Amino acid sequence: MSAPFIQFRGITKTFGGVTALDEVSFGIARGECHGLMGENGAGKSTLGNVLAGIHKPDAGELLIDGVPHRFGSPRAALAAGVAMVHQELAFCPDLSIAENLCMGHYPRRWGGLLLDRDAMRRHAGQLLAEIGVVLDVERPMGGLSTAQEQLVQIAAAVGNTPRILVFDEPTSSLSEPEAQALFALIEALKRRGLTMIYVSHRMPELFRLCDQVSVLRDGRYVGSLARERMTPDAVVRMMIGRSLETHAPRHLAAPAGEVVLRVRGLASPGRFQDVSFDVRAGEIVGFAGLVGAGRSEVATAIFGLDSRVTGQVGLDGAPFPLRSIKAAMGVGIGLVPEDRKRQGCVPGMPCRANISLAILGRLRRLGMLNFTRERQLARRYFDRLQVKAASLDAPVNSLSGGNQQKIVLAKWLARGGRLLIVDEPTRGVDVGAKAAIHALLDDLAREGLAILLISSELPEVIALSTRVLVMRQGRIVGELPHADATQDAVLRLMAGVGRAACGIRKKV
Amino acid sequence: MDAAAVPVRSPRRFRFVAAQELGLVLVVILLAAVLSLYGWYDASPGRPNLFLSFDNLIDGIATPMSYYAIMAVGLTLVIITGGIDISVGAIMALAALGGAAALQALPPDAPAMLVLPVAILVPTGIGLLCGLVNGGLIVGLSLHPFIVTLGTMSVFRGLANVLPAEKTLPAAGKHLPAAFTTDFMRLEIMGMQLMPLAIMLICVALGWFYLRLMVAGRETYAVGGNEEAARFSGLGVGAIKLRTYAIAGLAAGVAGMVSLGRFGTASTSTGSGYELTVIAAAVVGGASLQGGRGTAIGALLGTLVIALIENGILILRLAQEYRLVIIGLAIIVAVSLDRLSGCLGRRRSAPLPAAPPPPPVTPGPETRS
Repeated sequence: MSAPFIQFRGITKTFGGVTALDEVSFGIARGECHGLMGENGAGKSTLGNVLAGIHKPDAGELLIDGVPHRFGSPRAALAAGVAMVHQELAFCPDLSIAENLCMGHYPRRWGGLLLDRDAMRRHAGQLLAEIGVVLDVERPMGGLSTAQEQLVQIAAAVGNTPRILVFDEPTSSLSEPEAQALFALIEALKRRGLTMIYVSHRMPELFRLCDQVSVLRDGRYVGSLARERMTPDAVVRMMIGRSLETHAPRHLAAPAGEVVLRVRGLASPGRFQDVSFDVRAGEIVGFAGLVGAGRSEVATAIFGLDSRVTGQVGLDGAPFPLRSIKAAMGVGIGLVPEDRKRQGCVPGMPCRANISLAILGRLRRLGMLNFTRERQLARRYFDRLQVKAASLDAPVNSLSGGNQQKIVLAKWLARGGRLLIVDEPTRGVDVGAKAAIHALLDDLAREGLAILLISSELPEVIALSTRVLVMRQGRIVGELPHADATQDAVLRLMAGVGRAACGIRKKV
Repeated sequence: MDAAAVPVRSPRRFRFVAAQELGLVLVVILLAAVLSLYGWYDASPGRPNLFLSFDNLIDGIATPMSYYAIMAVGLTLVIITGGIDISVGAIMALAALGGAAALQALPPDAPAMLVLPVAILVPTGIGLLCGLVNGGLIVGLSLHPFIVTLGTMSVFRGLANVLPAEKTLPAAGKHLPAAFTTDFMRLEIMGMQLMPLAIMLICVALGWFYLRLMVAGRETYAVGGNEEAARFSGLGVGAIKLRTYAIAGLAAGVAGMVSLGRFGTASTSTGSGYELTVIAAAVVGGASLQGGRGTAIGALLGTLVIALIENGILILRLAQEYRLVIIGLAIIVAVSLDRLSGCLGRRRSAPLPAAPPPPPVTPGPETRS
């Protein structure tokens, strides 16, 4: 490992109060495909973004081929030979593939006055041919599938003749055959001598593609594994840093109560079908599944946010109408949504105003807001959830992700109710707050609340849930009681494939 | 525990002027000081200060700004929800003409008991109706408020041109009842016509009460701050928006009433172009076109800043031709300064102290309760 091609030295990056990267130092050899692993929020994407110039590190040094760099923009990174294929693809949907591919350096004629359409088409065709893709470059970008969009993005990235190519969760929205095609392409690029950074939390992919894997945990560099030492056990231990079941949830000890939520034959065209299940008082029912399997869609439909949903839902034995948030809230359902910033809170408003948002009607007296009660309430949930904020009046966007999530939880706890749906409750949340949220959910279940937990983090679903329901392609494909819910069993159901394809053999 | 140690600031329920508005107050004081000094220096011996005289303060500043300020309060509500209403000038014209048409049918010496209800209810009713039309279209068809009110601005102004028999009401030879004009809107107290000023202050106070103390106001901020989160929290977003546009229309109706009473006439061009000044006043007053921010006091102060600049051009005897240029530049400067102070404020609070290590999660007795 003398003089690695890419060298991170003490890279540190904070967002607001949250440390995303904490003195990360390691090296990547020339020409290798290097995996970056870690749980959600471990900092792997942030590190990829630092390399590609999207985030500027607060401290630390980045050396490429021995030359120190400090990229202020993706353009600067590109100039130094670093290109990135993003998780979220950014294109102009109304422009053609050719127009998108040549954006920023349109070929011109007549002294730069006119766009040279022929040259643009030729150039775009060449870029696509370079990576072995055949697409009509006249087609509008908006009409492409996600996989095709990604190919165009890779073509654009490769067209800049980079030395380093960063992939951030490239398979998060691809189907299996599409992913296989992508892997073949990545292997072809590797043979050309490109150094590649592959950010993902999916072990099978990393094991297949990468020569070396580095693991991040809570923003810190944990270690690297060479290909021959990569085993699921070793990687997971590094990622999690502890055995999974340190705190056995205590709600499991108590017998579950009466059925609270009863769902029968719930269906929404193109999203999910034939979804039936019960949630009992004191239970945490976990929903596992790949992104796009329809978990969040079921949750929002139960909460009344899906205008095309059909089926029967009942709470405490009494049916309630679908397609109405008012009805769902009226029977005592709360939803902590998947996208905290867009759906969960009003970022510019004070914490107390966010906590009282779902019970404004109860705080009304002659049309006026009862500020004293609002403060008492907010105070109570600040204490109970141990929210860390400058004051009750601090705007929510001044809080860290974990504390923002606590505010959203407090909003529903303040309202009370029978069923709480929590969708990705610990996404983008630091470890401390994560453990606190887990303990809170456990407590709430023990108090008799019925909880529906949706999470993409398998360890979270498995550790907390009384039962795990697995969804695949819009259907519930299996149910596992806590005792049988191993990573292996859940993954197999999620992917709908045999044991070998999962790459994980036993519970960690 | 840990969280309990966080200091809780005492409730500041009745904080009249927010930090952001303090800047505007300073600007107003600065402008007033400069104009006062100049007015004193410029006045010929024995004559009163050109700026600091009741004539100028009331008739030159307060009365003309009252129409703008009343509408700016209503528009501020709309802007807080993240919307816009550019039809307020046209609504004002329609309301004033409607009021004039109704009042000219009454004898000029009709008693106040009969005149005032008509004079108040007709223009405000028309304003409310127009506002409901705006809100209904915006919410019902989920169209962009700019497009809808661009359309209704034209429709309302067009109706103001078509419906009255003459370009100016009351018709030739007719007069509005004195009970509304001379004895109400132009009522002199110690030689000053204070009615428009009083109505403006009442509207600002109502706006402050609505936004600051009522649940409805909180809902307005929530919708503008994050419409989707408001919906996800069970707020009736459509009803809240409809209500907001209705209030903006109502405010324009009140402005029409004040203008009608003060001038004794209304014409098809009443309130023409006012919408731009009103938007400018709201924005200078701190309302953010992105939604979620704005106050009634800010709307008043924003209007006052613009009114002082207008008045200053007269007092300083600057060329009238440059009036629009100066006001336009002042608006841009004011908003940039506001933006700048916002950025500085954020930067000051940015480097948060490093988060203390999270407490070990052993659900204590108090978390279980």
